[in-house]
Amino acid sequence: MSFFGFEERTLERGKDRRSEQDEDLAVYTWGEENYDGLGDALQEDHDDLNDETFGAVGELGKDFDFSNPALPDRNNFTRSASAAVEDRPPQSSTPLTLESIWDDKSPFSLRLNGSNRNLLPRGESPATSSQHRQQSGIRTLQEIEAEMRKQHEEEELLLRQEEEREFQRQRLLYQQEQAQQLHLQRYQQQQQLIQQREQHQHRRTPPPRMLPISQSPRFMEHQQRQILLLQHQQEQQQLLRLQQLQEQLRVEELERQLRSQHISSATPDRQPSGPTLADMEALQHQQLRQRSQSPATRSGPHRPAPLEDSLPYLPQSIQLQQRLLSEMAQAEFLREMQGLSQADQEALRVEAMRKILEAEKMEEKRRRKAAKIAHMSRYNDLMTQSDKDFITRIQVSQLVSQDPYADDFYAQVYGAIVRSRMGLSADDERVLKFGASGGVALGAPTKGGNRRPNAMQRMQQQVERIVSNARKREEEKGLHSLHSLQGALGKTSGRSYKAAPRQLLQVDSNSAPSSSPTLSHAQPHAHISKADSISKSSSEAAANAARIGRETLDNGETLVRMEPLTQREILVTLENMYDLVLNVEQLRRDQPHPEDGEEVLEQWSQDFDKLVDQMWTQLKVMLPLATSTPHPFISLLSAAKGKKILPRVTRHFDQQRMNTLLTLLIACFSQLDIISHAALLDTLEDTPERADVERQTQAFLSSVLQSILPIIVKGNLRLVCGLVGLLMHGQDIVAIAKSRPGLALLTLFLTRVEVIKEGEVDEIPTQEDFAQWQLMFDHLFQLLTPEFPLLFPSTRMAEHLPRDQPHINIPGIDSLDQPVWQFLAALALQASSTQHQILVSSLREKVLDNVLSAKKGWVVDEEERSTKLANVDLFLHALGLDSSQITM
Amino acid sequence: MDGSSSGIQEPFDLIRLSLSERVFVKLRGDREMTGILHAYDGHMNLILSDVEETIMIVNEGEQATVNVAKRKMDMLFVRGDGVILVSPPSRT
Repeated sequence: MSFFGFEERTLERGKDRRSEQDEDLAVYTWGEENYDGLGDALQEDHDDLNDETFGAVGELGKDFDFSNPALPDRNNFTRSASAAVEDRPPQSSTPLTLESIWDDKSPFSLRLNGSNRNLLPRGESPATSSQHRQQSGIRTLQEIEAEMRKQHEEEELLLRQEEEREFQRQRLLYQQEQAQQLHLQRYQQQQQLIQQREQHQHRRTPPPRMLPISQSPRFMEHQQRQILLLQHQQEQQQLLRLQQLQEQLRVEELERQLRSQHISSATPDRQPSGPTLADMEALQHQQLRQRSQSPATRSGPHRPAPLEDSLPYLPQSIQLQQRLLSEMAQAEFLREMQGLSQADQEALRVEAMRKILEAEKMEEKRRRKAAKIAHMSRYNDLMTQSDKDFITRIQVSQLVSQDPYADDFYAQVYGAIVRSRMGLSADDERVLKFGASGGVALGAPTKGGNRRPNAMQRMQQQVERIVSNARKREEEKGLHSLHSLQGALGKTSGRSYKAAPRQLLQVDSNSAPSSSPTLSHAQPHAHISKADSISKSSSEAAANAARIGRETLDNGETLVRMEPLTQREILVTLENMYDLVLNVEQLRRDQPHPEDGEEVLEQWSQDFDKLVDQMWTQLKVMLPLATSTPHPFISLLSAAKGKKILPRVTRHFDQQRMNTLLTLLIACFSQLDIISHAALLDTLEDTPERADVERQTQAFLSSVLQSILPIIVKGNLRLVCGLVGLLMHGQDIVAIAKSRPGLALLTLFLTRVEVIKEGEVDEIPTQEDFAQWQLMFDHLFQLLTPEFPLLFPSTRMAEHLPRDQPHINIPGIDSLDQPVWQFLAALALQASSTQHQILVSSLREKVLDNVLSAKKGWVVDEEERSTKLANVDLFLHALGLDSSQITM
Repeated sequence: MDGSSSGIQEPFDLIRLSLSERVFVKLRGDREMTGILHAYDGHMNLILSDVEETIMIVNEGEQATVNVAKRKMDMLFVRGDGVILVSPPSRT
């Protein structure tokens, strides 16, 4: 506190305080009416001549008459002066009545100045009594004066003590000015509150959130807590510093002692009892060395002084001191009994150093963390739980809706997909249902799983509260209406909503979109649900066609030959399909539980079946094969939309319908756009058309094949036979095989047959079936043999290369070739030995090409080489060979 | 028109037919783009994916020439304000 200049004074005052502790405490006049605290601030000195100034001097002398040339009579002057002087003291002591004792004109008087004025008239007649009163008056005067002076001193002392305390407080907190301000603020706030409470005795304080933040009780508590925290922190810091300095001091002392002991006593070498002991010693050594090196040592002797000064005022530090002392004493004692060699000491010193550094680092980290947490949490606990609930209720009330699925459709569906991918965990708790009035949609699971259960519970509580409030309000309104109108005579007000003006035009916003064209345009159009009007007309046409188609299938004569569907028709049909699919899926979601009753279930089943039938007819599957080229169903699949909707539609079809669909698909496979455009994929340049074909192929593979896969996988031999036969009959099997989907399909068939042959099926096929299959297989083999090399995309692409560059490495070509190798392997598995030979001879070059480039290193990286070899091995293993057998 | 196209009742239905299909969009500022249409609304805001935008830059002068700048984007939101027309891509 040197900059305040209070250091010495406080010490003096401390001494004073200590010496005068036996005296009575002064009387505090706080709370009295006339105490305004300003009396302390008044400067009451120089009041000696007050009375004289204000005319209470007694006789006015003529001394001031400077116009008189003659000198004033000296005797008179002295006499009047002494009289004036003498008059004053007797006047101050006047008659020894009770009241007169309190009439005082001394400078130590604290009474109101009104008392002084009373003395004026009394001052007129002191002359007679003044003389004989002087004797006794002087003694009493002296007593009184002594009393007064004592009182004054006491008050001054009190002031000084208060100041001292204030200074102490300031010193404790001087590092944090902010804390001091807060302290004062708090005091002021307390004063304010006291005043407030005095003023508004019967008025309750407004709720915390209405008060400005500084007046909120929460904030004050918070600030108080902060202040306490800060105080604690500072104290801890000071203690730490204290500790360190103490240690250093002790180290010095102990070192000196130790050295003396070492010299004196002969110490046998002994193992140190524990690392701590030696560490302490090492620590001390280290500290000593540090101290001797650092410039801090220069100020060392100065530092203990202020510390010791402040020590008495920190009770905790005294304990610490004692603890440290005892520790040091123990260490010293133990070390007396043992000794350490120099090398050990060095090692231990190093270790101790390390530990010190680590400890320091940890301390630093901890301090930083604590500071960060404190910084982050400085605005904690500003809201009460009821405040938080209030806000949560408002937020949740916005989420409650009548139909949670429809309002946030995409989020729900996305959540369902994510959940199903994650592993089917709790799929029915996604909507918090609250009776019939609606629910709150929950969407996808969030990452913050720790707080979820609490939040969910609270949200449920909130929503329940909202719902019950709404219900109560409804009831109230109902009650009120009855209550208010019951028994009323005459016209009662027709409008229930009192505040709103009566509408001239009543528009019902819930009307169907079609009736109000402007409204319908304002709504998003991603999928306009005009299914009713549309599907009727087109489904009628489709129904007609289906009827005719069925008739043709039956008698095979009448056939309505149509033009292939135009793009427009395709798209219209597909959009209708989408509407139907959405309805079906919605219906599926609303599937009533078995316990809801037979009729409801019945009704639902009827609706469901009707929709599915509509979908079936829309697909135009039942139209005869020769209706058009391509078949309408195939035309529908030419759009990417069509490919993508197929799995969603087929999900609801039964086995029989699926079989029919599959048959049709296979029968008209070559009409698919991806087959007819497959040649484009073999070109090397990246045109938009090629990209488009690629996209369509991908869509087919992922959607359509996915949906027919389950059927084939469960199909029997007869079915597979028939399908393979269909593929070959009237279709260009080679072209199909040259396309990725076609190849995939063929591979699928072959593997299925293999599985059947291995006997892992429910239905064992007959000999006839096997014979039939063999025929098919041979036929297939025959058809494909001349084209084996061209089955490979690499070969096909190579043909597109410019003539002068026979070998360009196309990235990823090996992965494109892989399905071909797989197909060939599947083929080889069922092939006879002659067929094997044919396979080997036609694919010889291809195989050698791959093996050579792999072995001779004509590859980009290791991965490519392994892929090449793996491909070849796929095929060779099926033949019973291996790539390593090929010697180069 | 044929019976099955009676599903179209208003102009927006035509756009609706082209959802998930490649469309050609002509925009203000001498721009055109083709992309796969994913969504649209009453303002003709569009969401397209796999978009290629073509900007025509006209050089004024004695011999006015047209330069073309193209750029590709994966996903695009087009403000309906600037859309002049939406059509299926020109089929040859």
